[in-house]
Amino acid sequence: MNETLKYILKRIVQTIPLLIMVSLISFFIIRLSPVDPLAELKLNPSVSPVTVEKERQRLGLDKPIIVQYGKWAWSFVRGDLGVTSTGERVSQKLKERIPNTLLLTTIVILLTWLVGVPLGIIAAVNWKTPFDRILTVLTSIGMAIPSFFFAVLLLMFAVKTGWFPIGGLTSPNFSQMSFCGKFTDISYHLVLPVFVLFTISLAGLQRQMRANMLDVLDSDYVKFARAKGLSEFKVVYKHALRNALNPMITLLGFEFAGLLSGAALTEYVFQYPGLGRLILEAVLKSDINLVMASLMMGAVMLVLGNLIADILLIITDPRIRVKS
Amino acid sequence: MTRRGFRVLLVFVLCALLLKACLVKDVSIKSGENKKGTEKLEQKTYPSPENITLNGVDYLQSKAPVGKFGGEFISSIIGEGPKTFNPFNSKDNTSATLSGIMYDGLLSTDPISGKPVPKLAKSFKILPDGKTYIINLRKGIKWSDGMPITADDVVFTWKDIIFGGLGDTSLRDSLYIGDKLPSVRKIDNYTVEFVTPEPYAPFIRSLSQSIAPKHYFKNAVKKGGSAFDTFLSTNTNPDEIVTSGAFKLKEYVPAQRVVYVRNPNYYEINTKDEKLPYLDRLIYLIVGDLNNEVLKFEAKELDVINLQGAKVARYKSLEPHSDFKLYNLGPTTGTMYLSLNLNNRKDSKGKWYVNPVKQKWFQDLNFRKAVDYAIDRRNMVFNIANGIGEPLFTPESLNSIYLNKNLKSYEKDLSRSREYLEKSGFYLKDGKLYDKSGNRVEFDLYTNAGNTEREAIGVMVKQDLEDLGMKVNFKPIEFNSLVNKLVSTFDWDMVIMGLTGSPLEPNGGKNVWLSDGRLHLFNMRTPKEGKKGILPWEKELDNLFDKGALATKFEDRKKYYDRYQEIVYNQKPMIYIYSPVIIVAIRNKFKNIYPSSLNGLTHNLEEIYTDE
Repeated sequence: MNETLKYILKRIVQTIPLLIMVSLISFFIIRLSPVDPLAELKLNPSVSPVTVEKERQRLGLDKPIIVQYGKWAWSFVRGDLGVTSTGERVSQKLKERIPNTLLLTTIVILLTWLVGVPLGIIAAVNWKTPFDRILTVLTSIGMAIPSFFFAVLLLMFAVKTGWFPIGGLTSPNFSQMSFCGKFTDISYHLVLPVFVLFTISLAGLQRQMRANMLDVLDSDYVKFARAKGLSEFKVVYKHALRNALNPMITLLGFEFAGLLSGAALTEYVFQYPGLGRLILEAVLKSDINLVMASLMMGAVMLVLGNLIADILLIITDPRIRVKS
Repeated sequence: MTRRGFRVLLVFVLCALLLKACLVKDVSIKSGENKKGTEKLEQKTYPSPENITLNGVDYLQSKAPVGKFGGEFISSIIGEGPKTFNPFNSKDNTSATLSGIMYDGLLSTDPISGKPVPKLAKSFKILPDGKTYIINLRKGIKWSDGMPITADDVVFTWKDIIFGGLGDTSLRDSLYIGDKLPSVRKIDNYTVEFVTPEPYAPFIRSLSQSIAPKHYFKNAVKKGGSAFDTFLSTNTNPDEIVTSGAFKLKEYVPAQRVVYVRNPNYYEINTKDEKLPYLDRLIYLIVGDLNNEVLKFEAKELDVINLQGAKVARYKSLEPHSDFKLYNLGPTTGTMYLSLNLNNRKDSKGKWYVNPVKQKWFQDLNFRKAVDYAIDRRNMVFNIANGIGEPLFTPESLNSIYLNKNLKSYEKDLSRSREYLEKSGFYLKDGKLYDKSGNRVEFDLYTNAGNTEREAIGVMVKQDLEDLGMKVNFKPIEFNSLVNKLVSTFDWDMVIMGLTGSPLEPNGGKNVWLSDGRLHLFNMRTPKEGKKGILPWEKELDNLFDKGALATKFEDRKKYYDRYQEIVYNQKPMIYIYSPVIIVAIRNKFKNIYPSSLNGLTHNLEEIYTDE
């Protein structure tokens, strides 16, 4: 156990230079790009030069880039994410959106794993039967459709039929609804975005699981187990499944990283009030504090996801435990 | 193998059929229907509200037909939603619109004549000296929390907030005459006096600025600076906001919607003496882009939508069997233009901003006229704006009350263009145009990439000018880089840009037309250069704008501004192309709709009601 703790500590320390690199690269790319956050202001006939100058100082644009970075990094280390270009607190903005995005992505991840893993196993066990073939075709379609395109198609469908709302998360009269009403309203709005993300990630997950399972089913120890006369159920679910799940855990780490940023495109098409729209606008406007906060968040989530996956692997796989 | 091939083929055919089925629906619009959208605005005379005193309270009485109370109206805003609800700190349109709903100004604009009319003020008077404005306030009217609206609020707003330089200072900046600001003084509880340092006509328009409740804003103003900037931020609890407008904020859900409810203390009543507004709730959905807005309107989640170009024809054909009606509000206040760089100076390092060879062309009036006559505006309106627009020849927009109607429009005329070119010694050889020193006429045309309308105009301008044998390198570049070229480095030849102006006040364009203006794009001078190298007609423009601002009578001002439009029309530093027309669709169930090309379709929100 002590070993594991040490390992985790080591991993955390390792991420620090990584985060510094990420922040440096992204900061300089944003600042060196020709996007001038004041361009709109400069072209507005009713804004005086004094105001433009005041705005430049407020955003810190009058200082050299390296000083700007230093200022940003210092406040970031102290846990202050700064203010957006319009003067709102970045942390406040993120706080408004993170729950919405988490709601969407956790539902999708839960659903895909609850459906995808069993489907993968069943497909592998019934290898080359019509059932497996049909699943393969369906997942190919799922993987082939770009998410935004699928989302647009579903929106058109919603407009034509009137069965579903056109994006968003809640109805205009949401605040007057009872608790049950609110629950149904949100679920109703979530159907389409969840369906898009679900179809697309299900395809990948199911295929991965099927491939892993097929690999394992083909291995010598499974053949041995069968030869020993174990029931097919025990062979598959006790011996094969455990081994086939290992690579999936690594995948779970990546899924964790995608919790906050994975749905951005779909969110945008469905006008979902999540992080995706917020960050896209921030990038277009070169709203540096907001963009940096979201990039850093993405980096931290990725590192954290990998760490969690590794820890889970240590717990589930005795071979890794021995090595470390 | 053949069977498999057959299957693949079958799948392809099915896909193709499916796509075809989807396509057919959109193509069925006849091109002839494009013109329908440009039918003229249906003129319904707007019955202006009038003052009435009941039980000692000076109400404003709506003269529109009496409607039913209740219901809601759902509109939309494009983008990421408001940044603040503080009307004195709104730097973007969305925030300004949304905070403006809650705070009325002393005056507003008559939707038809464009004249200033009393709103929060009961009446106003300009003394004969042209500098003194006496504002009488309504007695007995209240803020949404029940406190009376008095002269103290007005003086506080103007003296402490606006002239105090809090929040967005562009209003204050526009009111400086020399280095002096107007003064404001309370005469009694219901009378306020403004005095401008000199007669300054644009001042009356700025009186439509919102008035703040002193008791609510006091603390934030006292703290000043950044505390004021965060005051009334989007995180403010809606229940604590004190307002004067017809609606007050109920709820703001980030990235989803802004909900307003009726302000029970609003000072407008109907002819049955019932308090307006009719609507219970006013909702603005926050939608990210135009496409989503269209989908939401078609799914009946929205009640009103602004339509552009191609979509108008489709909606026009849908209209007869739908529950909405289209209104043509006429040309927008936006102007699209092609500008030439007349700069003939060197930068601090002694380098020409514009290549001297090209300078000779652009400085040459004949050259500019040739370019002007070569441009086919009608074709552009038809092909780019789908017929939903009007050719434009003046710097004032077509709905401006100062528009100089004597300036005639004309069609593309290549032979006149060639005449002008010949006069200046340009000649054609093998279909290529050369100037009299034998230089090939070749220059760059910029616009901002991503703006499909301007890009389309650029392509057509390029084709039109190539008819004259000029070589045009059309370069759409990123917006920020373009702005940098225009206002800092001046290294451009021709540009297609747009500006929005005010249909009521030409003085707003002074930054563009004054020879040392900050947006005097076509002959931009650095602050150090001042008015260096001023052209005679630039000097006249400077004069006209100074005089126009100081004159107080409309007729006098009109003369000055007519002349300025004439100069631009004759000198062609900027060649105007067209103004898009605004078409708005609104559901039939809403009544008391009086479209106005100046104030839009829903300028009288408090009078609009739904009959369902």
